[in-house]
Amino acid sequence: MRRSWRMLLFFAGAAGIVCLFTLAAEPISQPRDVRNRYATAIISETFSQRNITDAVSAVNFDFRGFDTVGEEFILFVSVLGSLVLLRMVEDRKGKVLRDALEPWRDVGPSDAIRLWILAMIAPKVTFGIYIVTHGQLTPGGGFQGGVILATAALILYLGEGFTVFRDVISHPATEIVEGAGALGFVVIGMLAWVWGQPFLTNVLPLGKAHELTSGGTMALISISTGLEVAAGFILLLYAFLQENLSPVEET
Amino acid sequence: MQLAPLPVVVPLAVAAALAIIGKHLHRRIVDSISIATSAAVVIISITLTFQSANGAIVYWFGNWQPLAKSHFPIGICFAIDPIGAGLSSLAALLVLAAFTFSWSYFESVGALYHVLMLVFLAAMCGLALTGDLFNMFVWLEVMTAVGVALCGYKSEQSQSLQGALNFAVVNTIGAFLSLMGVALLYGATGSLNLAEVGRTLAAGHFSQGFVTVALLLVTAGFLVKSATFPFHFWLADAHAVAPTPVCILFSGVMVELGLYAIGRIYWVVFAQSAQPAPQTIRDVFLLMGSLTAVVGALYCFGQRHLKRLLAFSTISHVGIMLIAFSLLNPRALAGMALYLAGHGLIKAALFIGAGILLHRFGSLDEYDLQRSIAKRLAPIGVLMVLGAWGLAGLPPFATFFGEMRIDEIGSQQHLTWLPAITIFAEALTAAAVLRFTARVFFGVGRQGKSMVSAGAPHLHTDAETSGQHSRVPAFMWVPMAALIIGAALIAVPLRGPVETAAKHFESAPLYDAAVLRINAQTAAPRPYDRPFEAHGESEWWIPLLVALATLGAAAASLFPKSPRTAFARPIGAVLSKTVLELRRFQSGRVGDYVAWFAFGIAAYGSLLLLLH
Repeated sequence: MRRSWRMLLFFAGAAGIVCLFTLAAEPISQPRDVRNRYATAIISETFSQRNITDAVSAVNFDFRGFDTVGEEFILFVSVLGSLVLLRMVEDRKGKVLRDALEPWRDVGPSDAIRLWILAMIAPKVTFGIYIVTHGQLTPGGGFQGGVILATAALILYLGEGFTVFRDVISHPATEIVEGAGALGFVVIGMLAWVWGQPFLTNVLPLGKAHELTSGGTMALISISTGLEVAAGFILLLYAFLQENLSPVEET
Repeated sequence: MQLAPLPVVVPLAVAAALAIIGKHLHRRIVDSISIATSAAVVIISITLTFQSANGAIVYWFGNWQPLAKSHFPIGICFAIDPIGAGLSSLAALLVLAAFTFSWSYFESVGALYHVLMLVFLAAMCGLALTGDLFNMFVWLEVMTAVGVALCGYKSEQSQSLQGALNFAVVNTIGAFLSLMGVALLYGATGSLNLAEVGRTLAAGHFSQGFVTVALLLVTAGFLVKSATFPFHFWLADAHAVAPTPVCILFSGVMVELGLYAIGRIYWVVFAQSAQPAPQTIRDVFLLMGSLTAVVGALYCFGQRHLKRLLAFSTISHVGIMLIAFSLLNPRALAGMALYLAGHGLIKAALFIGAGILLHRFGSLDEYDLQRSIAKRLAPIGVLMVLGAWGLAGLPPFATFFGEMRIDEIGSQQHLTWLPAITIFAEALTAAAVLRFTARVFFGVGRQGKSMVSAGAPHLHTDAETSGQHSRVPAFMWVPMAALIIGAALIAVPLRGPVETAAKHFESAPLYDAAVLRINAQTAAPRPYDRPFEAHGESEWWIPLLVALATLGAAAASLFPKSPRTAFARPIGAVLSKTVLELRRFQSGRVGDYVAWFAFGIAAYGSLLLLLH
């Protein structure tokens, strides 16, 4: 199709879709007690039945936990899919590979930057673990905390380059953690099933509100999601950084 | 023991476990685990189908039942009826066939292939069983994410990545609109449960425009998934590059799941509110279905690359199934279910046939293969002919019983032109397979350029196995034969139960009563009757015409110079012109596809609004 035709087709369609959207303002005119009834129901249930203080995590990991199983597996297969699509092509196997950005590293970064970056890793890991484990108490949880954990690895790469990154973070171990995170969620869900309760029923003691141990299975699911997300993002980082590698030319 | 969550949970658990330890296991062990898992899901799904025949099984995850007083649902449920569970059985069966087929095929990277296939299975079952709007969207997204990875599996070829990219972009845009549709419905009704959304829509006072836009947006992602015209372009590109076992799932069940979701959403959420008017829905979806059926058939007949040919035939048959849905009649829906089951099994078998050719000759091109005539594969050729027979909707295949019901209801609704569409679509797609089989397996017909395929770009498919193979392993031909026989055997026993199931499928009050635990008599918020509920006369002459047209079209393309096919020459000339014109639109450029998508959504949206 010629470019002009494509543009015409697209903008005609897009204009039509914009017009359609103008008709979709209806929800705003609906009475609030209908629109908000899910939120109302959840907030009363969260505090009275689950002893936790973050309603969003309760929806993610308990009330609508089954959606989160699916979402976690979207991430899981997206990472695996990227590994499949980006896997090393044959002609690079068995050769000495070097980061294409490596020559640039002959001059920098300076020790000051390296020190500063490395000093950030410990706080980052701590903060990530904090966000993962406090999902049921404060905004956060496995998804957000997992990404923060993964940025610790990114910082390591920025400071030290790919070689150190590869030596410190083992690829097979990361793969195992990723699978374990995904499996963990399903296993926690199956706990209830084994006891004759529906999948993902919160069968553990719910603890006291405002404490780390509150929320029953929610905390565990949050942790296993955190593992999966952190490992998944590190694997993605691996795959994309490996794209940068090129065989060292023999001289 | 509660079986309901297992079709999703078991494959997910096995997939995650294989991702951890699969690398260290022997390939045969991974194969066996995968086959055992999919076989288990087949058994569980079939059991669920039988159990749900006595009334829908409703399963609340996390034990979050609807609130006691208001019946307001706060959790996610599976609402399993025989049609959903039957689809989940079909999905599991085809995954089982795909795993069996790939036993002696296909080099796997670690166990990644198996992991992805198992997650794909879980997503398909989840979509078929769920009773929640957002949960549907989640499984749609899982299907897309896995589908893209599987489609680009042979990532060392640039066409594979191109096909996967087109798949990803078009499906993601579609899913994005679906998500906006879900958001609109949630914003207006405060719920994500299909039954509750439907009841609120029917009870409230929503404008015609809002409900129409919501319907259009929610179904957009599923229209893309089901490769409806003009959202179908990605499908052929994806099939041409995807490994054979993946094609089996794409064509056999993934595309059909898109149709299922549209049907489920329409009947539970929108039918009760009678907005948009049933008449409008019928006309617009009838138009979509007819366009899809005709365009798919034209493309299909003009192909010489077997996987592409079969992909376009899938598009055409999706059109027929969409027509069946558009008739808004339980008997037509029963026809659609029969057609879907028969088509899924037959199409899977035909793709295995393609895989056998690739395994043996490393090519799928009609003319290439004609030179190395696959005579010793004659038994496979016979199975291919039977498959073409099934695609034509002829007895004893399930597609025949499906088509008879669709045509019957069509004539009862005075759609006199409808048989012309179904005959055209079925005859051309079946003739294309017949022509290919006759050339390649039996060496019939003129060598070289036929009238329609002139100018077809030469498509090269790299072999999926290494080396030349001299015989066809039992792991390949046994599932192929079993699928073809199955497509014939299921037809008669399914006829009766599927009618009842279709009636229940189209009854929103029954569905709401089961899910929300309310009284079925008082469940309907407003008087509710199905406008198009009637039986018609059986149109026995249609299959006869299809058979004649199939043979005629196949013969005319095999012997273009023979005086006996002179009758077809003018038709052939017109067809080949049209096909050449149409092919220019199948450009492989994702920008074009997105433009078509935007245009299609706007056009169908305007029609839904204006035809009121």
